[in-house]
Amino acid sequence: MTGKAAGRGLAAADRYYQDYGSRARELKGQGKRIMGYLCAFVPLEMLTAAGFIPFRIRGDVNEPITKADAEMETIICPLVRSCFDMWLKGRYEFLDGIVIPHACDSICRTYEIWQYTLNLPYSHFINMPHGTDDSSLNFYKAELNAFRRSLGGFAGREISDQSLKEAIQLYNQNRARVRELYQLRKSDPPQVSGVEVAKVLVAAVSLPVDEATRLIGDVIDEVKPRQAVPAQKSARLMVVGAQMDNVAFIDLVEKSGAWVVADDLCPGARESLSYVDTTADPIDGIAERYLRKIYCGRTFRERKGSYQDYMEERFGHIADMIKDFKVDGVVLYIYKYCDPFGFEVPEMKSYIESKGTPVLYVEDEYSMSTIGRLRTRIQAFLELLGSK
Amino acid sequence: MNRAILASVIGPTGPEHRKLANRVMEEALTRASLSFDDITYVVATGYGRINVPFADKQITEISCHARGVSYLLPEVRTVIDIGGQDCKGIKLSNGRVVDFVMNDRCAAGTGRFLEVTAEGLGVKLDDMGRLSLEAKNKVEIGSTCTVFAAQEVVSKLSEGVPLPDIIAGLHEAIATRIYGMVRRLKIEREVALTGGGAKNIGLVRALEAKLGYPVLVPPEPLLTGAIGAALLGKDMVKKAAESGEPLPRSERRLTEASIFT
Amino acid sequence: MTEEKKPEERKKRRTATEAAAKIGAMSKAMTLGVLQAKEEGKPIAYSFICCCYDEIIRAMDIVPHWVENYAGICGAKRDAQRFLERAGAESFSRSLCTYALCGLGFDAWREELGAMPPESPWGGQVKPNMMLGSGQLLCDPRNKWFQAAQHYMPDVPVYEIGLPWPPYEYDYDYRQVQDYYVKYIVEQLKGLVKFLEKQTGKKMDWERLSELVDLTDRTWNLIWETYELRRAVPSPMGTGDAMNTMVPIVFMMATQQAYDFFRELNEELKRKIANKEGEIPDEKYRLIWGGGLPSWFALTDFNYFNSKGAVFPVETTYRMVEAIYNFDIDLTKVSDPLEHIAWRWLKYWTYWYDKARKRPGSHPDVERLIQYIEDYKIDGIVMHEAFSCRTWHVGLIWQLNLLKKVYKDMPSLILESDIVDISSYNEADTRARIDAFIDTLEAVKSKKR
Repeated sequence: MTGKAAGRGLAAADRYYQDYGSRARELKGQGKRIMGYLCAFVPLEMLTAAGFIPFRIRGDVNEPITKADAEMETIICPLVRSCFDMWLKGRYEFLDGIVIPHACDSICRTYEIWQYTLNLPYSHFINMPHGTDDSSLNFYKAELNAFRRSLGGFAGREISDQSLKEAIQLYNQNRARVRELYQLRKSDPPQVSGVEVAKVLVAAVSLPVDEATRLIGDVIDEVKPRQAVPAQKSARLMVVGAQMDNVAFIDLVEKSGAWVVADDLCPGARESLSYVDTTADPIDGIAERYLRKIYCGRTFRERKGSYQDYMEERFGHIADMIKDFKVDGVVLYIYKYCDPFGFEVPEMKSYIESKGTPVLYVEDEYSMSTIGRLRTRIQAFLELLGSK
Repeated sequence: MNRAILASVIGPTGPEHRKLANRVMEEALTRASLSFDDITYVVATGYGRINVPFADKQITEISCHARGVSYLLPEVRTVIDIGGQDCKGIKLSNGRVVDFVMNDRCAAGTGRFLEVTAEGLGVKLDDMGRLSLEAKNKVEIGSTCTVFAAQEVVSKLSEGVPLPDIIAGLHEAIATRIYGMVRRLKIEREVALTGGGAKNIGLVRALEAKLGYPVLVPPEPLLTGAIGAALLGKDMVKKAAESGEPLPRSERRLTEASIFT
Repeated sequence: MTEEKKPEERKKRRTATEAAAKIGAMSKAMTLGVLQAKEEGKPIAYSFICCCYDEIIRAMDIVPHWVENYAGICGAKRDAQRFLERAGAESFSRSLCTYALCGLGFDAWREELGAMPPESPWGGQVKPNMMLGSGQLLCDPRNKWFQAAQHYMPDVPVYEIGLPWPPYEYDYDYRQVQDYYVKYIVEQLKGLVKFLEKQTGKKMDWERLSELVDLTDRTWNLIWETYELRRAVPSPMGTGDAMNTMVPIVFMMATQQAYDFFRELNEELKRKIANKEGEIPDEKYRLIWGGGLPSWFALTDFNYFNSKGAVFPVETTYRMVEAIYNFDIDLTKVSDPLEHIAWRWLKYWTYWYDKARKRPGSHPDVERLIQYIEDYKIDGIVMHEAFSCRTWHVGLIWQLNLLKKVYKDMPSLILESDIVDISSYNEADTRARIDAFIDTLEAVKSKKR
């Protein structure tokens, strides 16, 4: 890396990852307004079109959850609790508001706690339906338009179709970049490690979308020409889970002697690989993408044919990725108290194994204290894959 | 090269893993009339595996128990290892691990459960298994939490419930926990028990009752992991010799003490 | 547990009313009725509580099997563990809804055996003809459970309906969005009717449906009026009884049986009030069960409260009705049955929103507590945090904090256990907590004197 590139690409990603929110604080100082949000289901195009900088609220896996327990029960997703704990500890004092989607029970059932405890100038709950049928899509569009009016009210101006279309373009460009980055994981060995990808994507959701796109582009330029073949690793793994907003687990896997070459995570493939279609009414394209194109356990897909067809419909994208990225084994990494994914574990495990790929199912808490236990399981799984 | 075990040593673990690892190694060398330099390759396994400085390789207990059992009892498809702090289920196919489950977070379902409850009852841990077989009316223990269970049995004792009945209930409780976990592997016969738990006749019977058929227990269940580790090491040495690739060894030797032939 | 006895030796729970005492038999008859219906070849649908489709399925002679109720029965009989364990053996996390784990474990076992598991409570849970999910804001298991159950019964169709209600927001009134909410609910219900017509091969009898909708309205009003009678001092009926009388509310809605039951209960309460007969003879403390489903295996805890002089004139749990005539729209003018159901649903869930707007910083959930505290002359609040249910048990701490902030600081107690998983429960610990709470109530009372 030359002096010119220093401070960009992976180095910049690391900086934004470690000092999460530094750019947002900078922008706030310049008079910009920052809108916090949880989860991949908030239509960021709308936030950007309204003139806000979207900022993904993140937990801290190194920090024991303490203050949150005084307001929020412990029987929910530990990642959500950590996010809330971070807020109470002052990490996100620069936020002007919060937008929360109807993702899962842990998120939607805590909306009031966020709303009331944080006492921000703006809060909104987007009541996204579970179904993907036409009436659900229409309902969702109406919800998005209600959100549009509400957000516009807080922004001080209506959110025009034009501004939405521009934002959609920006986000689609961002997604295209992520796709390019993912292509670099297909080679053997991959051009870019799982830790690097995770770091970049987490850093990216703390930045305005155009800066995020540039960051990812810089990283691509940096890793593409890599010649040196790094140490041979024993296996190529895919991590499947809900949200993973830190590199600890992927780092553990890669330090144990495997590559993480693919994922179905947020931030990650689930969140970033599908586009918003160009539609006359931009809300149509946005609604279609978030409700139908993101394959997450919280969305209920109707069964159209046989049970086998249904499995293919719901999990086929995982099988495709296993093939495209030459994945040797899948780790199902699910937090305790996770309803959307917890209910799907037996089916997912069964489906992936039926395709001939071994699966390690790990139930975890959001904390570094479990690293030792995870290490043994990962090591045993790699030994299992190695003896195939 | 013969295939016999030249020597084996079982020693207590504790806070100073390195010292204790050295100690058992020395003792084993003495019994085998060998020096450390006579050893071709050393594989360490178990929780303390990272604290064996003279080990050339660390392999998880899952792989080691699997290898050990498939050597000792080739007809086994499912291994249940019950240790002092954890328990594991391992599924084998052609002697290889194809799936596994572990509980290393909760004491219930491990040897610790019996340790704590035995203490509460004033019974020696080694007597627990034998006593459980003397039960006339096995009692049902409701709590799955070790601490609550300990409270529960003490209060039962004070109510006059016979000791064997209570102990049988405790064994039933652990067996339920273990069985519940291992079932996730879709258990196939033959089933083998390893680890300290396999030496507890009460626990063996309780698990057999859950399974509905007998289980196999290797002659020295505490050694299956080490045997498997040695065999895996031997496999690696063989493979390296065949491929001509050098096998890296640990730079550390066995320090601290009197090594003698 | 200090009361470890064989089930038949365990003391029968005392109820304050004769009506509540009849529920055991009613519930059993209802459950056995499903087995009977299955044998007669009637269509059985796995159904959820508070589903919005009671009238619809009854109008079509579809027999509901209430999966949560069955899990509750297993829990109450202290025979849920083996089903929870079976679910765990399938790799379902034990942190998930234990109603679902119980049901899924049972289904997996039954399908594997090809017969009911041995000694299944009340004859067991039948394999249904269809499974009807419903929810949206209610909870995730309502759209994940049956989907997961299909793994064990791939030939049983699942139909899922969305039933949203507008969230309570600061910057707009829910009436600005209610129209498209109702439109959506109606469309979802229409879709359900089409599905049911296809499954049963019968067409919906819309007149019959209208009749059942009307019956439901009248039943709602009657239930509300009946429960309001409990405001009396001394209070004639407590939450312990209400955990029985919830059966007709949520599992027999849209039946004459439910209406008649509350007619009887209403008369019984009036009689008791006339005779100044309370839940207990010496009522010292009036409490609200302010949130959380009960531990079905520990309902005797209500008798324990009674033994300390505490009664529960009111609860939020399972009080799933409001008086229709108190809504801000005249529901009698909505003649289309599906629209009627949809408006009733929406108005029920937004009922307390207006009140919340009138008190700065308040929230509808807290307004409901305040109203009950005042109307029923409440001294303290008890809540239950069941570890496996995020729907009703998240936000309890926050509600108590907010209540303190906008209203007043009241003695409160949060019990911790689960709905069905008895291993989470410690009787000695629970009773110790109750004792400490009673001390607090007494201290507050003596200060007042």
